[in-house]
Amino acid sequence: MSVEAAAPADTRPPDRSGPILSVTDLRAHFRTTHFGVNRYVRAVDGISFDVKRGEIYGLAGESSSGKTTLVKTIAGAIKPPLEVVGGTIDFAFLPGYGGLHRAPPTEVARIRWRHLSYIMQGSMNVLNPVRRLRQSFVDFARPHIAGTAKEFETAVIGHLARVRLEPSVLAAYPHELSGGMRQRATIALATICRPDFIIADEPTTALDVVVQKDVLGMIHGIQREIGSSVLFVTHDMGVHAHIADRLGIMYAGRLVEEATTPEIFKNPLHPYTRHLISSLPRIGDDVPRGGLEGAPPSLADPPPGCRFHPRCPLAMEICSRRVPDMIETKPAHRVACFAVNGSTEP
Amino acid sequence: MLAILRDLLRYNVEFRIGVALVGFVVVLSALSAVSPYPPQDVYVVPPDVPPSLSYWLGTTSRGQDVFWQLTFAIRNTLLFGCTVALISRMLALMIGLLSGYKGGWIDRALMSVNDTFIVIPLLPILVLFYFVMRDSMSWLMLALIMACLGWAYDARLIRSVAMSLKTREFTQSSVFSGMSTREILVQEHLPYVMPIVFSTTMNNMIWSIGLEVTLAVLGFTDINTPTIGGMIYWANQHTAMVAGVWWWIAFPTAAVIMTFIGLFLLAVSMNEYIDPRSRLGRIGGVAT
Repeated sequence: MSVEAAAPADTRPPDRSGPILSVTDLRAHFRTTHFGVNRYVRAVDGISFDVKRGEIYGLAGESSSGKTTLVKTIAGAIKPPLEVVGGTIDFAFLPGYGGLHRAPPTEVARIRWRHLSYIMQGSMNVLNPVRRLRQSFVDFARPHIAGTAKEFETAVIGHLARVRLEPSVLAAYPHELSGGMRQRATIALATICRPDFIIADEPTTALDVVVQKDVLGMIHGIQREIGSSVLFVTHDMGVHAHIADRLGIMYAGRLVEEATTPEIFKNPLHPYTRHLISSLPRIGDDVPRGGLEGAPPSLADPPPGCRFHPRCPLAMEICSRRVPDMIETKPAHRVACFAVNGSTEP
Repeated sequence: MLAILRDLLRYNVEFRIGVALVGFVVVLSALSAVSPYPPQDVYVVPPDVPPSLSYWLGTTSRGQDVFWQLTFAIRNTLLFGCTVALISRMLALMIGLLSGYKGGWIDRALMSVNDTFIVIPLLPILVLFYFVMRDSMSWLMLALIMACLGWAYDARLIRSVAMSLKTREFTQSSVFSGMSTREILVQEHLPYVMPIVFSTTMNNMIWSIGLEVTLAVLGFTDINTPTIGGMIYWANQHTAMVAGVWWWIAFPTAAVIMTFIGLFLLAVSMNEYIDPRSRLGRIGGVAT
């Protein structure tokens, strides 16, 4: 998928009723204990961002940049060794607790699937292999939808039509469906309750490009129709160009840049983002793509200061001493870089 | 389910023989309902009559008809096996699924109990139970004790499957859809492990019936309830082999061997059905 093909035109009226999700200085670490010594892997280290109502917020970053840990923390799937060390996660529909992990179980049960749902990475096990699709729908969604079993069935069939699935798939086992059908069924399953917020963790990674485009279109269509917000995670910048309204770029457990998708692609400011964008292939351009020296740092022992400085072509002396803040360099464009924002130290 | 049974009957010889043997034994035990003699009564027929037209399998030295006695014995033995299997399966499922899914200290606690039961020597413990309880050692009590001793291996097996299920996406989806632990275990994980449980049920019945026969032959059970082992016990008490009353021992032994072979074949064929590799092989695919 080429970058030019995408560049979505935002046709919706902007919603001004406050963000649906507001993450403030979130820090989530993996704790490992070896011979009585605690070591922390700082997978999410001081991340702040907002997701507005009705927008698709894309989260980009390479493997091991902490994307999945971030969404797991937001979704409240915090199990040892993962620990939330600090920061708050405020959902508009779950006010006052600062995250699912701090809310009482009854409150969490209230919002699950009804307000907050999750589209899993497409794989063989995304649906229970020994349950027919109808039973999966009953298991996951029936407790959240009032009405008789007949009405529920009608609603499910109507909703399946939105993702272009026949009602007959309800009687099928997951292995009888193709990968694309399975992923569409998963999307239907996650959106049947018309949730306010959907977390999509690499939902198209296991699919080929044609099916990918199809599935992305469906997520987009359903999202516009029911007005949900989506937190969309993938490492594939082409997918982001296609679907995201705004993009956050993660590097080594931190957010380094955030702006609207066209802005990120046209005018990246952070050196990491610039390399990321310039590494994307473009149709008709035969200039060789340069790679970036080095490898992403270990999150157990990250470099001091800005975590990108050992690989950064613009690195300055201050970069190895202090952590750059996310500063709104231009309207709706935040960057964490001393070289871009200028250092505040004399 | 019915289609699976039909296919197994059509294509699997072991399953067919197993069903025939177990079916025969079950019919035999069902006949106990129409027995002309109560099972406990003695000297209701002339003793020591060899198999003939009027007494199909002969009579015992205690004046009981071997055929009708056998129907009661095999019924009680089968019921015993089923009771042990049912209770121990429930224990194994609950403990295995919970321990595998929950992990952490729950897993450690349950598995240390589990491992204790695995290493306990069974026969001495059961004999000890008999000596301690003596008269209160009824058929049901023995079944309960055996069930409490017979779940450990299968709980470990189920736990290992549950640990793998825990990490799959659909389990996470279940959590995110707000299902409780109980709902996840019963609705999502239980259907997955059921085929394994069916297969181990047969093995568990063979194990419990075998142990019950052993204990009964040695006289360490309630010998007044007719069971296969109980019949052999009484035959030994009356030195049936020396006295030439071979039919008293031969027929119960044959019946229990038929039960064993039947259950074993069912377990084997079901295993083959559950294992997709051998299933592929049978339908002509290449097993890799």
